[in-house]
Amino acid sequence: MSYSDKVIDHYNNPRNVGSMDKSSNDVGTGLVGAPECGDVMKLQIRVNRDTNVIEEAKFKTFGCGSAIASSSLATEWVKGKTVDEALTIKNMDIVKELSLPPVKIHCSVLAEDAIRSAIADWKKKQETTKPVAVEAK
Amino acid sequence: MTLTSITAKPAPEETQTCWSCGSMRASHFCEACGKVQPPAPVDYFTFFGLPRKLNIDVALLDRDFYELSRKLHPDLNARAGSQEQEWSLQQSSRLNDAHRVLKDPIKRTEYLLKLEGVELEEQSKSATEQARVTGQLKKQVVPPDLLEEVFELNMQLEELRAQKKMGEDDPALIEEIGRQKLELEEKHEALLEELKKYWKGWDALIDRQLARQAVSQEERKQVRDKMVDLLNRRNYIRNLVRDVSEVLGD
Ligand code: FES
Repeated sequence: MSYSDKVIDHYNNPRNVGSMDKSSNDVGTGLVGAPECGDVMKLQIRVNRDTNVIEEAKFKTFGCGSAIASSSLATEWVKGKTVDEALTIKNMDIVKELSLPPVKIHCSVLAEDAIRSAIADWKKKQETTKPVAVEAK
Repeated sequence: MTLTSITAKPAPEETQTCWSCGSMRASHFCEACGKVQPPAPVDYFTFFGLPRKLNIDVALLDRDFYELSRKLHPDLNARAGSQEQEWSLQQSSRLNDAHRVLKDPIKRTEYLLKLEGVELEEQSKSATEQARVTGQLKKQVVPPDLLEEVFELNMQLEELRAQKKMGEDDPALIEEIGRQKLELEEKHEALLEELKKYWKGWDALIDRQLARQAVSQEERKQVRDKMVDLLNRRNYIRNLVRDVSEVLGD
């Protein structure tokens, strides 16, 4: 199977590899896996609390080239978007952008799952922190 | 295919008459005259005349396999290039596939689940679509702490790989990873044991079915889902064992 140029580019120069402090309140972390192949992907976002804009995104993926490229692309795409905008990213957008073949669709699914899961984690933190702050007074 | 159609013997509509002598035949060769038959589209269990049960006597399977491969061997069957020899070739290769899958506990289970209509990837994709529509978080099919563990160990492996590249590996890290490797292997063993427990549950359903007792969809689904879940977890462990062995160089 041959990889598209875009996949190879992301694979060789992955954008935004790394991690952020998981316990930080403005960071959302998504850790997801594809059971079919046993690959795992972690994606983190740092969100501006006033604007809901994702200002920073990091990922680390242990998996195939397509999964690495999908997550790399995902971090590029979510950056600068609001949380709600980021939730509109669909795995098929990634498939199209990277010209992934049908057998690699699950790798893009993983990236969408990671985005959603990171955002959910961030949202949960916002819910749990706000009421606590009120109660504390 | 519904469970009612699972029987030890091929169902009547799958049984045909021998092209050569007109007797009834099994799915590979004629019981009466011994001629090889055109391949019938049967699943691997049926090919070996087995019910769809997961506990298989592998010694017996091997014996049947050798006997069948002898009988189906293309060289034994008619002139080169003849139709019979062609069938013989096709049957032999099907026999090899069936044997390879059925003798392996994991492949056998995966195969059965596929026959039962389980499509792992499809499930994952539709769960993501569901999450998109409802805004609810997709439930990961394996427990979060397993993912966590997989991720952490992968980080360590990456570190060790990098160290090795520089020609300086840290003995403490190697020892730590070696220890985890043992744990993983134990976990892998434990998963197989657990799987065999579900095999029993599944086979009991098939036995009831064969005895013409009612088996509900729900009962089947329960055992099936447990096996799917277990195989999913196993995929991660298997990958880790593979990667750890590769990095440790053994
Ligand atoms: S092959 Fe598993 S994520 Fe790509």
